[in-house]
Amino acid sequence: MNITLAALISSVIIGMVPRAMPILAGAVGETVSENAGILNLGVEGIMLMGAVTGFVVDYATGSLILAFAAALGVGVVVSSVHALASITFNADQVISGTAIWFLGWGLSGVIFVSMFGNLPVPPSVAVASHVYLPVLSDLPVVGPLIFGEDPFFYLLIAILIGVHFFLFHTKQGLNLRAVGENPAVAEIMGVNVTRYRYASVLFGGLMAGFGGAYLVLSIVGSFYFDITVGAGFIAVALVYFGKWKTPRVFIGSLIFGAVYVLYYSLESVFPSVPYEFFAMWPYIATLVIIILVGSKARAPDSLAKPYSKE
Amino acid sequence: MKGISKQFPVVLANDNVDFELHSHEIHALLGENGAGKTTLMNILSGVYTPDKGEVYVDGEIARIRNPPDARRYGIGMVYQHFSLIPVFNVAENLWIGEKRGGIRLNYAQIKTSIGETAKHYGIEVNLDKRVEELSVGEQQKVEILKLLFRGARVLVLDEPTSVLTPQESLGLFASLAALKEEGKAIVVITHKLYEILGVADRVTVLRRGKVVFTSPAAGLTREVLTRAMIGAELEVKGVQLTKVESLGSLRLQSVSVRGDRREAAVVSLSLEAKRGEILGVAGVAGNGQRELVEATFGLRPMEAGDIFIDGKRMTGLGTKGRINAGLGYIPEERRTRAVAIGFTLGLNSVLHDHWEKPYVGRGMLSLNPIRRFTRSILEKFDVKGGSENAAARSLSGGNLQKFVVGREVLRGPKYMLAVNPTSGLDVAATEYVRSVLVDSRNAGLGIVLVSEDLDELLALSDRIVVMYKGKLSPSVDHRDFDKLKIGSMMLGEGF
Repeated sequence: MNITLAALISSVIIGMVPRAMPILAGAVGETVSENAGILNLGVEGIMLMGAVTGFVVDYATGSLILAFAAALGVGVVVSSVHALASITFNADQVISGTAIWFLGWGLSGVIFVSMFGNLPVPPSVAVASHVYLPVLSDLPVVGPLIFGEDPFFYLLIAILIGVHFFLFHTKQGLNLRAVGENPAVAEIMGVNVTRYRYASVLFGGLMAGFGGAYLVLSIVGSFYFDITVGAGFIAVALVYFGKWKTPRVFIGSLIFGAVYVLYYSLESVFPSVPYEFFAMWPYIATLVIIILVGSKARAPDSLAKPYSKE
Repeated sequence: MKGISKQFPVVLANDNVDFELHSHEIHALLGENGAGKTTLMNILSGVYTPDKGEVYVDGEIARIRNPPDARRYGIGMVYQHFSLIPVFNVAENLWIGEKRGGIRLNYAQIKTSIGETAKHYGIEVNLDKRVEELSVGEQQKVEILKLLFRGARVLVLDEPTSVLTPQESLGLFASLAALKEEGKAIVVITHKLYEILGVADRVTVLRRGKVVFTSPAAGLTREVLTRAMIGAELEVKGVQLTKVESLGSLRLQSVSVRGDRREAAVVSLSLEAKRGEILGVAGVAGNGQRELVEATFGLRPMEAGDIFIDGKRMTGLGTKGRINAGLGYIPEERRTRAVAIGFTLGLNSVLHDHWEKPYVGRGMLSLNPIRRFTRSILEKFDVKGGSENAAARSLSGGNLQKFVVGREVLRGPKYMLAVNPTSGLDVAATEYVRSVLVDSRNAGLGIVLVSEDLDELLALSDRIVVMYKGKLSPSVDHRDFDKLKIGSMMLGEGF
C-alpha cells in the first residue's frame, strides 16, 4: 500500500510502451486500410485469431519467429474474407467487418478449447526476451522507456516509420490515398483501385495478426478466451483520433497504453474497489476521445463507401 | 467514331452515331439534356464501351475499354463534375497514377515538370494550393492542365461554361482557341447555343441519340440550331413581368452562418424579398448560397442575425414553424432533399402536412384527401408518368421537378426559396418550371431564386443581388441588368 504517486507515474510511463504496441499494430494496419477507403471493424476478431495462432504455434514448436509468422499469415487470410466481401462484392463494410469480428472472436476460443480443453490455469509459453542494446539501454529515462524491449517491438516501430514514409512520401502512397478519397478519380488517372484496396486490407489483417501475437507472445505469455477485450476496436477508434495520419496514431496508442497500465496498477492499489471499475477506463477513454475529436476529423471522402465501375 | 450505339436500361442513348474530329479544330457537340452527347463522349474517353460501332484514331481501329486506354490514344475529358480531389493540392492531383519519376515524391521535381507544361500552354495555376481553395474557374484550368500534362491530343469538355461567369467563359474560349492553334482537337459539349457559335469550327447536333447534322459553324444561326436540337419550333413565351402591389416581405437582417467546416460562409448579410417579386441571387457556386438558403429555411443554425416573415420574427423557429409562417422551399437536390425517393407520390405530396387535417384523422392517414391533393398536383402541373401510388423514383427528372414545384406552390406559401430549379432539366421542362415561377409571382408569391445560370436570373428576376464570399451586393433593378457587369460582380468586383 506504500506506492507513492511518483512510483505509480513511473510504472505507468515504463509500462505504457509495450502495452501500446498491440493497439498500435492494429491501428497502423487500419490506417492504411482506411486511407484506401475500406473500413475494417473486424480488427478485434483478426487480433484474436492472430493471438490464438501465435500461442498454439509457439506452444507446439517453441519458435517465436514461426509463431509470429503464422499469426501474420492467419491475419491475412481472415482479412481476405473482408476484402472479398467489401471490395469484390461491394458488401456493406460495417456488416462485413462485424461478421469478421464475431468469426474471429468465436473461432479463436473454439480453437483454443479444442486443443487445450477447459483448464483452470491456462497453459503458458515464455514471452519474447528483451534485447539489451549497448549504450542506448543505459541512457537515463529514455533507456528503460524504449531501449529495452524485445525484437518485435523494434520491428513494429520500423513498420510504423515505413508506413508513414509510404503513405505520405511515395507515389504509391499518393495513389492509395487518392483511392480512398475518390476511387473514380483514381481509376480515371490509371490507378488500379481494386489492387490497392486489396493490398491495403490484407496489410491491415497482417498488422492485426501481429498485434494479437504481440499481446500473447511478448506481454502475457498465455492465451485465454477474449484476451484482447476490445483492443481491436480501440485500434479502429485510434485511427479516427489520429485523423488518418500515422504520427497522431502513434501518440494516441501511447495514451491508451498508459490508460491500460493505470488500470492494472490501480486495480492492485485499491483491491477493495471492484476491478470492473478500472476495467472500463480504456473504453471510457475511447468514448471521450471520439467525442473530443468528433466532427472535426475529416475522413477520407470515400471511406466505407462501396465502389463499382459504371 | 462510326456507327456507335449504346443501350441503357431505359433509353437508347446513342443510335448509330457517326462523329468525326480533326486536329486544329474546335467541334461543338450540341443537344438537349438526354440527347446522348455525354454518352457519346464517355464512349470516346473509355468510361463506357459501345454496344456497336468502332472508334478510329488516325485511321486505325482503337480499342478503348477504359479511361487509361483512351489516355494512351491521347484522349482526355473534363467532366461536368470535376475529377479532382479537394484535399490534395494541385500538384498531387496531377501526379496521381503517374508513371514518370521515382517512387519517392519529390515535390520540387514534380512541380518543375508540371510547371513546364503549364508554361508551354500559358496556363497559370498555383500548384501548392489545395484544390478546395480554388475557384471553380481555376479548378477547370487544373483539369485542362491535367489532360495536357498527360499528353492529351484530344480534349473533351462537358458543359464547361455551366459553372463559369461570362468573363471566365471568355477566358476559357480564348485558351481553347490557343490550344487549337497548337494542333489539339477539342470537343465542347454544350446546350448553350450562342456561346459556341463564335468559337466552334464545326457543329454536330444530336437529338434523341441520333445525329441531326454535322456542318461547319460558319453561317449557322441560332434559329437553325434550336430547331435541330428540339425538332420543332419552341415557343419561348418570354416572361411577362407585371408588377404586383407589395403585401409584405421576407427579411434577413445581419445574418451570419457557418459552413460545414465551420468556416464563415455567410457574413452579416441582409436581404429583403417582397411578395410579388422574384429576387435573383447570382453568384459562383460555393459563395455561401447554400448555407444562406439552409439557414433561412431553418435547416442550418445561424451564428447571428434575425429572420422575419411579414414582420414576425422567425429566428428561433425550426423548419416547421417557418413553413407554417408561409415559407416554401425548392431544393436543388430534388431526388435526395425534396422527396423521399422510395415513397409514393401520394405520401410525398403531404410530407409537410401529413400530421394535419385533412390528411390525418383519428391518428391515421386519410388516404382520400391525400389522393385528391396528389392528383391535383399531377394534373395542374403536367406531371407525366406517375400516379399517386407510383414511387417518386419512377419519375424522370423533369417530371419529378414539376411535381416538387407543384407541391410547393399548391400549398400556398407566401415566400419561396428556389435553388437552381431548372438544373438538369430539358428545354421544355425548364420553360415550364420558369413559367410556373413567374405565374406564382404574379399571383403574389415572393420568390428568392438562387441560380448558377445567369441567363435564367436575367430572364426571370425583378431584381438581382450578387453573392460573393458570403456577402451580398446592392440589388440591381430589372431595367439596369447588364450581363457583363453582373458577371464581374460575381468575380468580386465592388465587394
